[in-house]
Amino acid sequence: MRAATALLPLIASTLLAATAAHGADWELDLDLRAVSSDAKASVLDGGYGPTRFSERQSGLRLGRLRLALDTPLGELWKLHLDASAWDHSYRSSVGLTEAYLQFRPYPRNHLRLRLKAGGFYAPVSLENGAGGWASPYTLSYSALNSWLAEEVRTLGLEAKVDWLGTRSDLPFDVSAIAGVFGWNEMAGAALASGGFILDDRQTPLFDQVGRLGSPDARIEPFREIDGRAGYYGGLALEAPGRLVLTALHYDNRANPAAADALEQVFAWRTTFNSAAARLEYGTGWTVIAQWMGGLTRIAPGGTALVWPFDARYLLLSRRLGSRQRLSVRYDRFLVESRNSEPDGEQRGNAWTVAYMFDPGKGWSLTLEGLRVTSSSYIRGEELGRPGPVTDTQVQLAIRYALGSAGY
Amino acid sequence: MRLSARSNRALGIRVAITGVALLCTLLHAAPAAAASLAISIQLADGKPLADAVITVQPVGRKLPAPAPIHAAMDQMNRMFVPEVLVVPVGSAVSFPNSDSVSHQIYSFSPAKRFQLPLYRGKPYAPVIFDHAGIVILGCNIHDWMIAYIDVTDAPFYGTTNAQGAWSAQLPAGHYQITVWHPRMREQTPTLVRELAIDSGDRATLTLQLTKPLRPAPMEGESY
Repeated sequence: MRAATALLPLIASTLLAATAAHGADWELDLDLRAVSSDAKASVLDGGYGPTRFSERQSGLRLGRLRLALDTPLGELWKLHLDASAWDHSYRSSVGLTEAYLQFRPYPRNHLRLRLKAGGFYAPVSLENGAGGWASPYTLSYSALNSWLAEEVRTLGLEAKVDWLGTRSDLPFDVSAIAGVFGWNEMAGAALASGGFILDDRQTPLFDQVGRLGSPDARIEPFREIDGRAGYYGGLALEAPGRLVLTALHYDNRANPAAADALEQVFAWRTTFNSAAARLEYGTGWTVIAQWMGGLTRIAPGGTALVWPFDARYLLLSRRLGSRQRLSVRYDRFLVESRNSEPDGEQRGNAWTVAYMFDPGKGWSLTLEGLRVTSSSYIRGEELGRPGPVTDTQVQLAIRYALGSAGY
Repeated sequence: MRLSARSNRALGIRVAITGVALLCTLLHAAPAAAASLAISIQLADGKPLADAVITVQPVGRKLPAPAPIHAAMDQMNRMFVPEVLVVPVGSAVSFPNSDSVSHQIYSFSPAKRFQLPLYRGKPYAPVIFDHAGIVILGCNIHDWMIAYIDVTDAPFYGTTNAQGAWSAQLPAGHYQITVWHPRMREQTPTLVRELAIDSGDRATLTLQLTKPLRPAPMEGESY
């Protein structure tokens, strides 16, 4: 992976040169933040805070630097590469958050097939619809989508079949999706130790994430330990511009008794169900409701340790004219422990309010306030504050995007 | 001039379009050999509806089919432009790509099945649309892109302009007027009215929709 990230600039420049010849789509995106936060050091940095930035990180920060390429390879294939740099870095300062090949034959008889191979997000979020899996509504993602960004990714194959009602005289399409993947058997480790956080840092493929209360420890979500493939399957109904309904079942099928003896890490069996709805009105209103519930478990030495989790949010967003958007989101999240010790237990809620302004020519401004109230058993023990803690983070993002889309 | 809400078909149509406010104003002008018809369409909030397709068919008689035309369906900023096009049967439509990225157009609508392999610029000959019906276009690269070509055999046709207006000179007679927009949310997606126009009349038909249009699909919002 290190070699791959070292080669990234070379790959990027080659593909940029190919843009003119093959009509590739590319985007270069710089996002700078002015941050004010009263939170403890983030779980992402080995601290206890449920936000991306801590009190110490208040000031000017790099939100994200992103280069994305989407290039046709012949008539029916395309390659998508999404590289980002964040101010939190572990293995490498630049990494690929998604990299995949897609096969897209022409639709026939109202059926459209899409096959993907590589590293990419499972189709769970109805929030992260902007380029680079960003949210067009807020800076910080909801708790459940922040968790996906942190440690869940498909490294494998996905097939999606769309029945295109909108290309006949019906107002909706129906889709069936199935994925098979490996190298995600540590998904759940960060959730069971650190709980949910709300942020927008996406762990690059094969990179690491922080561990709660352990500044020097790391979790590597993208590992294969027992050689068993995981899967997901889902259904979606979409009336473009009006309604999306989705449901998905995910199971990484890790053997919880398996362990990498050399590195002393266990395989985390993580399963969840998710359901979501997004409604859009011609008046500029968008409503998203999304739920996820599941559990993660390990069985070191045959003793099962189980952490059920549940997270949900409701987001309301209103476009104000063509250049402004105001969004409000309420999150609730819960990690329980079914074990003799309550380690890993967390419950909380969060309010996010964001105002976005698009002055045009590639510029955009976002002001976001995030207030997280949460109780975490481990944080309570370590910091001597067992009750709920409220953390507040305010960010002003200034973003400039350049690309073939002609921003 | 008579404006008739024809009892047999129109009754059913009236039921189907319940809630659509229909205002008809008759203006008398100096006698002339031909009559004129002006149609104006407003959205529920009173703003004009542009790009609505108007087709006018004679009732109980035949008029010569309209001459085929050359038209263009462009692709700009990863959208089809215009969203809706109406052409007579036999017309040729070119599909220039004004974007820097490639597009790949397809239709599997019964009125015209075709595909244009990945391209930029204007490498292909125009496509001939030789059967009446709605042709729905998609791009195999950008799944949100959608556009509609209404291939018509109506002798009078067009789309409303930015002011929501369309007009035509036509011989006196009895006509069926159809108004269609792909994102209209009235109970029937097509509005049909019948009216009889005497020689020299100027008929003005104003329609106001009761519901806002469905929003146009936007880039990147697809699931």
